[in-house]
Amino acid sequence: MSILSAVLLGLAMGVVFGFVLEKSRVFEPAVILGQLQLRNFLMLKIFLSGVAAGLVVIGLLVATGLSGLHPKSAIWTADVVGGLILGAGIALAGACPGTTLAQIGAGYRDAWFTLAGGLSGALVFTYLEPVLHPVLLAGGAGKLTLDKVLGVPFPWLAFGFAALLVAGLVALERWRPWRAEIGANADGLLPPPEARAPAAAPVATGRA
Amino acid sequence: MPAFTDRAWSPYFAGALLGLLQIPAFLLIGTALGASSSFVTVSATLASFVDPAIREIEYAARHLAGAKNWWQVALVIGIALGAFLSAKLSGTVRRGIAPVWERALGTKSPATRFVLAFLGGFLMLAGARIADGCTSGHGLSGMAQLALGSFVAIAATFAGGIATAHLLRRI
Repeated sequence: MSILSAVLLGLAMGVVFGFVLEKSRVFEPAVILGQLQLRNFLMLKIFLSGVAAGLVVIGLLVATGLSGLHPKSAIWTADVVGGLILGAGIALAGACPGTTLAQIGAGYRDAWFTLAGGLSGALVFTYLEPVLHPVLLAGGAGKLTLDKVLGVPFPWLAFGFAALLVAGLVALERWRPWRAEIGANADGLLPPPEARAPAAAPVATGRA
Repeated sequence: MPAFTDRAWSPYFAGALLGLLQIPAFLLIGTALGASSSFVTVSATLASFVDPAIREIEYAARHLAGAKNWWQVALVIGIALGAFLSAKLSGTVRRGIAPVWERALGTKSPATRFVLAFLGGFLMLAGARIADGCTSGHGLSGMAQLALGSFVAIAATFAGGIATAHLLRRI
């Protein structure tokens, strides 16, 4: 595929991606921070629904022979260290790399600083990569997927895992109905802790 | 029925639509959805204007050329356009800084928020590049392919995120 057609396709897919991210509200900082403080579960609902649908469609693509898998190599140390740092960044940014762009599109001013920080972080990593490579990023277990480990055909395992996720989502919805988590201004911000539990309200702890 | 003018769609419906985006990614581009490697493509391209030697770093060179890299750059630009369009249609265009930050940080100061946003963005991409993926590449795509490294990376991401979020004020 030529670069031009790849770019046009990317733009078209991105518009759909961004439109759906905005409608899902998962780009809202209060949704992301609320999930990480375990008081709003919208992010987990959207994320696991995306994984479940992905399992079904990728399972079908593999079962029909239309496509193979494109998994990343498992490099345990890098996965753990990188994941921990990525998570810390997501909490402070109130965004993931993809939703940063959705925040910019929706109009949040601070997301431009997240973007600048992200580009700087990627650039610093690029310069350090030759040094980091031998200590952190080399070796690993290869493109390890669960179906290969268990010796079960990918589609069956994918459909089974998708069914498990759907069952989990049904339980999650019973526990925390999504409409109650959207918030009055559709930003996932729920009434402050004081209003919910007056006795437990911290009084000017000085933390910031 | 979900409408384009709605402020919010069901998270299950919206999430499933995100999963369906894997179909064009797999069939037409031959890759899974991802977002964070585009930050390398863009920042290394910008840096190459002042430091052409960056092209000699193999990792940079791998991200500078080729249809897949520029497909992903276009994808994240499209995300901004799509979110703008959706917010316009529903009348939920945002301004300034989200109110949640005053609660989480205990201050209205934009400077504090801007510094923290920059730091957050920096850590986010440094971490994503070390782990070779973010919530899209490892999360949506890696888990949907039952990739064991992605399960570990996402578990670590949530652990790091939950621990850090609890250092802020409760929202």
